[in-house]
Amino acid sequence: MAEIRGKCTFPGGAHPPENKQFGENCPVEVATVPKQVSILLSQHIGAPCEPLVAKREAVTVGQVIGQSDAFVSAPIHSPINGTVKDIALLPHPVIGRTMGIIIDADAENNTPKQPVNARFDKDFNPTDFTPEKICMSVRQAGLVGMGGAGFPTQVKIEPNPRLEKKVLIINGCECEPFITCDYRVMLEWVWQVIAGIRLAAHAAGVNKIRIGIEDNKPEAIKIVSDTIEQLGNIGDIQVVPLKTKYPQGGERQLIKSILGKTVPTGSIPPTIGVCVLNVATCAAIAEAVIVGNPLTHRIVTVSGCAISKPGNYYVPIGMRVEDLIEYCGGLTETAAKVIMGGPMMGFAIADLSTPLTKTSGALTFLTKAAVTRAKYEKQVTACIRCGRCLTACPEHLNPTKIAHAVKYNKLDLAKDYYLSACMECGCCSFVCPANIEITGYIKTGKILDARAKKRLG
Amino acid sequence: MLSKITVSPAPHISQDLSTRGVMGDVIIALVPAIAAAVWFFRFQAVWVIATCVLSCMASEWICNIIRKKPNSLGDLSAILTGLILAFSLPPTIPLWAAAIGSAFAIVIAKMLFGGLGCNVFNPAMAARAFMAASLGALMTTWTVPATMGEVHCKGQEANALAAIHAENTYDGSNGEIALTQATPLAWAKSAQKGKADVQLVNQMVKPTFYGGVGGCLGETSVLALLIGGVYLLIRKTISFHIPAAVLIAAAAFVGIFYLISPDKYANPAFHLFSGGMLICAFFIATDPVTAPLSVKGMWIFGVGVGALVMLIRLIGELPEGVMYAVLIMNALTPLIDRACKLMPAGGKPNVS
Ligand code: SF4
Ligand code: SF4
Repeated sequence: MAEIRGKCTFPGGAHPPENKQFGENCPVEVATVPKQVSILLSQHIGAPCEPLVAKREAVTVGQVIGQSDAFVSAPIHSPINGTVKDIALLPHPVIGRTMGIIIDADAENNTPKQPVNARFDKDFNPTDFTPEKICMSVRQAGLVGMGGAGFPTQVKIEPNPRLEKKVLIINGCECEPFITCDYRVMLEWVWQVIAGIRLAAHAAGVNKIRIGIEDNKPEAIKIVSDTIEQLGNIGDIQVVPLKTKYPQGGERQLIKSILGKTVPTGSIPPTIGVCVLNVATCAAIAEAVIVGNPLTHRIVTVSGCAISKPGNYYVPIGMRVEDLIEYCGGLTETAAKVIMGGPMMGFAIADLSTPLTKTSGALTFLTKAAVTRAKYEKQVTACIRCGRCLTACPEHLNPTKIAHAVKYNKLDLAKDYYLSACMECGCCSFVCPANIEITGYIKTGKILDARAKKRLG
Repeated sequence: MLSKITVSPAPHISQDLSTRGVMGDVIIALVPAIAAAVWFFRFQAVWVIATCVLSCMASEWICNIIRKKPNSLGDLSAILTGLILAFSLPPTIPLWAAAIGSAFAIVIAKMLFGGLGCNVFNPAMAARAFMAASLGALMTTWTVPATMGEVHCKGQEANALAAIHAENTYDGSNGEIALTQATPLAWAKSAQKGKADVQLVNQMVKPTFYGGVGGCLGETSVLALLIGGVYLLIRKTISFHIPAAVLIAAAAFVGIFYLISPDKYANPAFHLFSGGMLICAFFIATDPVTAPLSVKGMWIFGVGVGALVMLIRLIGELPEGVMYAVLIMNALTPLIDRACKLMPAGGKPNVS
């Protein structure tokens, strides 16, 4: 494979070891249907859903089981045929506990859902669908950004008369170590991804499309560019190889790298006319619009040294972590940390009955050695003011000042150093020689700030 | 199974870097200079360095016990302080003085401020200032290195040395003054006053580069310091900003003077290579604790140090200004940090 060197990048960032070898060459594998799934009613940014089903009610694949009338929200569907066992508080990887629906799978009529990528090829014309129809299907399918934050996709692509969209950026960076699901999507489902991209562009009314892929994935860059070439004249669509650096796949960093533009602090990309979608989301758009399937399954990378069979699995959303672990052959003896997401931004979970959500792209299992080396063996010292965290911060903040302001309970000072502008990427903690949990303090600061605001009304 | 699983905030991996590693790297970088000091000053150097390091370590250990804090010798910063202090002392310093100075560095300049990371002034420089103020002549008595004249100074340089030496003797016509004038910077000072030939001073560039001139323990060999500095830069233990700023500012400052009256002032190369300039640029000014955080701040800090050193050397009464320059800029560091407050990448948020 010819070496491809990405030139575009952003200032700051870090170079964590990539560790993609675990799942890089594992084709997507369809997992078996678990006996029970727990579907959280809050899997996205925005209003949580209200359950539409009652206890002991029978549900079928694709049935809407949760919905909200709020504009920023996304409905939730059942991934299996079965019966509602309970509606109860369930562990949530990020926000602790939240309401969810537990569904028992029918013992018989449940075959694992297969990916639909085979139905897409060269002869696809996005203009067969009207923008309204596309947005409708996306909303009904409950699509949210599958890369991380989980912002409802329909809200993103729907044309907004106040903020005209000019560029659609597709995020194929996958800058987090260990994770390979987007990479496999690009390799195996490339036609579906391209179809989704074109549908999204059509719906949003943009002509300029840029697909950003880090240069540590030359195969993906090649296959996506080749596919676009085969399609011939389909407008201004280009693959942009990017430098491999964390957090290249952060929305704001990606825009900076590709367009050289900066999103104003505290604003979202649409304010400068940009819409960013992740490749997995694009694949889901194509499936939702053309096949009419709601978002009930996704690819999850299972990776790390502490799991027997790492790989990329096509699983129902709502499958519990413990079930997936069992399917992957169980944890090894040395497992010490289970992370939902990648090691830089993921959430360590203690309760293995936590279900997967629409945004969980990976489970990373770290061994005791990896965890102690990174966290416990190294002595935490006072900040030696070396300035490394400032250089690494992609948002150009002063992480040590914010963290210490939070530590000494000076929230005003923390805000003075732009606490809220932090994207929690973890670069500062990663590079800190004093091994201070800078990002941890900043997160705490944000929570305290939110609480203080609430108290004030 | 569950009991074995731990949770903690992200990120869950971290770079192979530690405070101990950073300090250790600086110590490794000082090894060539230690070797040079031992080579040029023989056992005098060994004793002074050992005294300073041990005294610093003991002080740190005792302070931690008194403050009821965990032992912090492991971060190696006390050893580093001891080394830097030893390097800025004359080889003839009595060992009791070195021990007291080291204790001052740790107890007063570091621990009283709150320990590692909280001290405002570079402990070694603060201690040296204390010693200069209280020990007087002991701090300005320089011996000629043991090896001088034998190994490194042949031919023209040897002549220059001899000539200057003769001049000094003539100049003061008593042994003591001749001794105190033995550092190249002192010659430069007397050249500036018209008492020595500046051409001879300029010829000193080569011996100062390889070492073998009078001065503090760590100042004699430019080569050894450069090796250490380059090592630190390659290892990315220090960023290039502060050394570059110090050296460029100093060179520019003396360059102007040199251009205006080359027969009065020594050339920039001489000033960069002599005295504490290089050890300051690579090892003292770059002490992370007492330097600004941001890159912009580092530039300001470095330029300030470089310019102040030259200001003291060329205009002030003292032949050398590293110590005061660093201390003054240390005092300004909080201000610099405040002035160079970073703006977030996306500009000021309109809603707070
Ligand atoms: S302060 Fe926030 S944005 Fe900056 S490096 Fe740290 S976690 Fe990332
Ligand atoms: S990286 Fe760590 S030690 Fe260095 S300035 Fe930031 S918080 Fe302090």
